[in-house]
Amino acid sequence: MATATTILLPGDQIPPESLPKPTNAKKPLTLGPGLRHIPPNTITATIAGALATDNKKNAAWIEYNSGRYTPQPHDLIIATVHASAAETFTCTLTPHTPPALLPHLAFEGATRKTRPILPPGSLVYARVSPSPSSTTSGYSLGAGGAPIELTCVDPSTGKSDGLGPLKGGMVFPISLGMSRRLLAGKKGGVIVLEGLAKKVGFEVAVGRNGVLWVDGGNVKTTLLVGRAVQEVDEKGMGEKEQLWVVERGLRGL
Amino acid sequence: MAPEALLSHLNRADGSATYTQNGYSIIGAVNGPLEVQRRDELPSEATVEVNVRPAIGVGSPKERHLETLLASTLRTIILTRHIPRTLVQITLQVRSLPSEHAICGVDASLSLLPHLIHTALLALLSSSMPLRTTVTAALVVLPAGRDAAPMLQPTARDVMLAKPIQSAHVFAFSGNGKVLLNESDGSFTYEEWEEACEMAEEVCCKEGGVGLSDAMQVDGGSENLERWLREVVRRKVEKEMRWKSGT
Repeated sequence: MATATTILLPGDQIPPESLPKPTNAKKPLTLGPGLRHIPPNTITATIAGALATDNKKNAAWIEYNSGRYTPQPHDLIIATVHASAAETFTCTLTPHTPPALLPHLAFEGATRKTRPILPPGSLVYARVSPSPSSTTSGYSLGAGGAPIELTCVDPSTGKSDGLGPLKGGMVFPISLGMSRRLLAGKKGGVIVLEGLAKKVGFEVAVGRNGVLWVDGGNVKTTLLVGRAVQEVDEKGMGEKEQLWVVERGLRGL
Repeated sequence: MAPEALLSHLNRADGSATYTQNGYSIIGAVNGPLEVQRRDELPSEATVEVNVRPAIGVGSPKERHLETLLASTLRTIILTRHIPRTLVQITLQVRSLPSEHAICGVDASLSLLPHLIHTALLALLSSSMPLRTTVTAALVVLPAGRDAAPMLQPTARDVMLAKPIQSAHVFAFSGNGKVLLNESDGSFTYEEWEEACEMAEEVCCKEGGVGLSDAMQVDGGSENLERWLREVVRRKVEKEMRWKSGT
């Protein structure tokens, strides 16, 4: 992790000294979101934000927390079923974008005879499948013509690994950065859920498309958990402030 | 006076910004990449749609003209080939204009144009749209009379007091100092145009001229737009990274 943050505007060239210094010299440089390589060896930023680097992975990317979600292969997302077609469900990930397809058979234990029935509006926790036609450019998944495909099973094991329809509960919109933080585990620095879980039981699912699903068994718990995460998100709270949110939330129960 | 910018304040839009300078206040919102209508779809690049809404009433040919200018300028800075067959929708709502705007003697759409460009850029930055470079714009007004000095980014009131106006120019520069847009109105010689262009370039993209712009800040209140843009982005990053750095 770089100590001094380099702030970049679109079009700024990344100076070679701010690129990650690879620990393994053979590893090729990986460019994440927000960076663009112009051959032969110019790297420029395409969005405004802070440069982040990882020496171990020899990767560089731009940290940002705004904008629309663009599906990437292997992302965990919470999709809303829009309609059911002959073989697939058409689902929406973000408003006003082409629908994503979720095959009826992409559920654990689904066969041609027993397929899940999901009415329009139901929620599904799914993974974006790496489509064979998708190009290497991260932006053009789904834009290149083939629609985005979702799946609720691991293709190698046939198990669901927690994916599938989400029953009950409630959905809370959160920022894309917050969903990344929640999915990053310890690195994300979110302790509000662990703190609340010491006293109340609940179930959460985090979608990379900026959706948090919470089921606390009763309305009070669900709202408590959802609102706490939203507050942490809006105010950009660190760990100390989160403890305070937890304490205040539990007192209200 | 440096423009004021407020980023990402509309929670339904993908990116938004409010920009205020010299009595001009504009709200900008960006949505995208969205699903594009069949007839607007371009097979290898994104469609850029700009909507300009006036402060009062409904849009007129004047707004359509501004939209055309903005769309062609913004299309050059958005990396449209990274997001083919999608739509980038930019809506700019003029919230308030200085009271002298209509009577200041400069074409009303010309004096509004730099502010619209800045608002659109800020909203695009807020939406994390992939951009090739940034864009900054400035208005230069040349009053009539031999000894009258050209005015850089004047307020509407200053222009009104300096009447009669001989010519007005708007220049937009990309982050690497290339002219992206030039709109001129009135009668002028090539030398006058070149001088105006240099003045605009100075305020838009000369980052090296720190000493000069410091002096200008003291007496003229004008300042470097590129530096201002970096400051805006720094504040945005600070807000987003607050959880990491603080407590």
